[in-house]
Amino acid sequence: MSINSEFIAFFILSVMAIGGAVFMINFTRVIHMALALAFTFLSIAGIYLQLHAEFLAVIQILIYTGAISILMLFGIMLTKNHEELKSSIAPWHAVLSFVGVAAFFGVLMWIIYQTPVISEPSDGEGWTILQLGERVFTEYVIPFELASILLLVALVGAVVLAKKEEK
Amino acid sequence: MVVTSYLALSAILFSIGLYGVLTKRNAVIVLFCIELMLNAANINFVAFSKFGLFPDLAGHIFTLFTITIAAAEAALGIAILIALYRHVETAEADQFKSLKG
Amino acid sequence: MEANLALLIPLFPVIAFLLLIFGRKAFCKKMAAAVGVAATFASFALSTWVLVAGETITWKVPWLQIGNQTVSLSIEIGSLQMLMLFIVSVVSMLVHLYSYGYMKHDDRIQVFYAYLALFTFSMFSLVMSSNLLWIYIFWELVGVCSFLLIGFWYFKPEARDAARKAFVVTRIGDVGFFIAICLAFWHAGSFEVSDLQAVVESGQLTPGLITLLAVLIFVGAIGKSGQFPLHTWLPNAMEGPTPVSALIHAATMVAAGVYLVANLFFLFQASPFAMDLVAYVGGFTAIFAATIGLAQYDIKRVLAYSTVSQLGYMMLALGSAGYVAGVFHLFTHAFFKALLFLGAGAVIVLLSHEQDIRKMGGLWKSHRQLGIWFLAGCLSIAGIPPFSGFFSKDEILLSTYLDGRIDLFVIGIIAAFFTAFYMFRLFFMVFAGEARGPKADSKVPVVMMVPIVILGLFSVFSGFANASPMHLLTAWLSKGNDYTAATGHAPVWLPVLVVTVSLVGIGLAYLYFGSRKWSTSKVVQTVPRLHKLVFNKYYVDELYHYAFVLPAKGIGWFLYGVDRFVVGGLAYLTAWIAQFIGRIGSRIQNGQAQTYALVSVIGFVLLIVGLTAGRFLK
Repeated sequence: MSINSEFIAFFILSVMAIGGAVFMINFTRVIHMALALAFTFLSIAGIYLQLHAEFLAVIQILIYTGAISILMLFGIMLTKNHEELKSSIAPWHAVLSFVGVAAFFGVLMWIIYQTPVISEPSDGEGWTILQLGERVFTEYVIPFELASILLLVALVGAVVLAKKEEK
Repeated sequence: MVVTSYLALSAILFSIGLYGVLTKRNAVIVLFCIELMLNAANINFVAFSKFGLFPDLAGHIFTLFTITIAAAEAALGIAILIALYRHVETAEADQFKSLKG
Repeated sequence: MEANLALLIPLFPVIAFLLLIFGRKAFCKKMAAAVGVAATFASFALSTWVLVAGETITWKVPWLQIGNQTVSLSIEIGSLQMLMLFIVSVVSMLVHLYSYGYMKHDDRIQVFYAYLALFTFSMFSLVMSSNLLWIYIFWELVGVCSFLLIGFWYFKPEARDAARKAFVVTRIGDVGFFIAICLAFWHAGSFEVSDLQAVVESGQLTPGLITLLAVLIFVGAIGKSGQFPLHTWLPNAMEGPTPVSALIHAATMVAAGVYLVANLFFLFQASPFAMDLVAYVGGFTAIFAATIGLAQYDIKRVLAYSTVSQLGYMMLALGSAGYVAGVFHLFTHAFFKALLFLGAGAVIVLLSHEQDIRKMGGLWKSHRQLGIWFLAGCLSIAGIPPFSGFFSKDEILLSTYLDGRIDLFVIGIIAAFFTAFYMFRLFFMVFAGEARGPKADSKVPVVMMVPIVILGLFSVFSGFANASPMHLLTAWLSKGNDYTAATGHAPVWLPVLVVTVSLVGIGLAYLYFGSRKWSTSKVVQTVPRLHKLVFNKYYVDELYHYAFVLPAKGIGWFLYGVDRFVVGGLAYLTAWIAQFIGRIGSRIQNGQAQTYALVSVIGFVLLIVGLTAGRFLK
């Protein structure tokens, strides 16, 4: 594997993403976790850019790093969280979870590295936002409409759920 | 760069998210971790969109939908969390035991 | 027409049984007794009529079709069967009557009468059947009734044990009988007695097989008739009510074994070895039980051992080709033994259920009538002319003598001496002297006295049925068969010898127990070991206890241990494993979504590994 600018960029971005995720897991204060996660989302946006998905990168920053993180912060604020999280989870549960996840990860990596890569990467020629929009509004118009309905339902549902119950 | 690197990154993030989902006691953090897992999946979509056998924009479009759904899910998740919190006065996931028979 | 009327003989008791067992709440005590007595009286009348008519009755209906074999329900009433029917019905009727006096105060008298009726029915049917399978069925039914009646006072542990013992010990004999039936069917191809007889007489069976058949049947008879070595149940059976002892364990049921041998006499005749066996077992039992009878103190047990001894006499007669003598003794013995038992029952009732003869005495003065009839029974069994026992015992000893079995003849004479001695020991201890225990103030009720008197008359006169000049019974029983014993004239000295020996026995008994001139304690002191041996019935029960019961118990304990610790342990382990898994399962089902998620993840990993491993391992 030759060391070029693409690799360096990928390396830095992935280190940032993984580092953010790991910090998110290991921090004890909820607000730090939220920030670490936002950092990871940001790094993933960088990965998208590297994959010729500029529109997605923007969307990622807008929705995840912006909207969802803020939503999460609201969630943290609205529920009374003990600042220091006690790790009162059963030890066997933690160990078993680690073993299970590690096994899952091992299997996944093994499969990934066993699978031969035969295709050449596309250079992303002609992948413009215009083309994306055309396909979304022609080929994928029905899923698109369904997604909008879903968003509407989610909006209403969230309002109903979060509203104080009438006494 | 080959697709394997992206897939490995995705796998790592997914596993971290999964571990968080399984072990974290705070329901908000569990939601965080779920988002992280969704993002890991998105990376796969985008990576295959470029490195797949038939490179195509469809991967991007799927990711778009996923992000949409994830946003809705996050909103609903927080809403349910708040409702639950009001009900049992805690956001600790291991206090939600009503599934027990 | 006649056949159909004869069929009614067992029908009356079975109707009485059904009435009493289902209506035991509805009948009052008197009604129950009346039903039982009426039913047996009807049977008695019919069997007397059949006896007087004297024609062989046969009747047969097919019952089962097995392949090309037909098993029929068949009845054949020949001379022997008529005689048996008569004996059974007479004794049964009188015992039914007597029981009302004896069992008056028992709350379950209805059930008692029901059992008695069932017994009478089975005995009639046993006698009437001429099919081995049916004989076996009723043979077992008789055993069941015996069990029920011995254990009638089931709240007494001794009665329970005695009932069980009787059942188990007779069962040993029954197995032999059953094997014999199977063998007979296998080789003769039929259950019919007549077919078997035809096969035996035509010489189709090998002598060895005939001997085997005869011996196995004799094993059954040993069990039922209380012959050595299966005699142990009979004395224990005295735990039952006294009328039962009289009916079953003296007069009728125990005679079933003798009857079976007599009924299948052709089989025994064809096998010299079987004859020897029957004769020697009978002779040995006769002397063996008689000696035990010398040292017993329970009034009923003395009579029980005397029954065993007398049954031994019958077997001795049959084994010595004295078919008529054996049946004749069966006939007379039924009457005088029933008389003795009923008399003993009356004594027991008078002395408020005291059974130890050492605590009795002086009844002769207060109850002269009972004493006279009891004396008649004693004289009869001791063989004093002109009482019935004299004639039959004389015939037995004669046939033994004529058959050339001098050793057994001597044994028979000695046993006769012992018989006279212990019977009069009993008589003198109970009736002579002064009262030594509870006073007998009341009188014997009429319902009890009437059967005693009737049986007394029978005991006195039934001997003349085969008295010397006419030999009515011999002619009667010899109809249609050639069972008559070896001919020859009775030596004149024989009856004289028998009577002398008996008189000596009576005299000795008088000296020891009547006038009390001689003391028994001296005898006991001179031969203490012997006395102890005899008193403890030669330790046969103890021997069986150590030889059979304890090993069986040991095996039982061992198997119990295996069951408890190995089989049970496995069962417990299985249950524990299931419980353990269940507990783990319920631990997992703790209601936390994260635990469920963890389990799904692990399952998913396993699934993935399972799905992909094969492909990549290749």
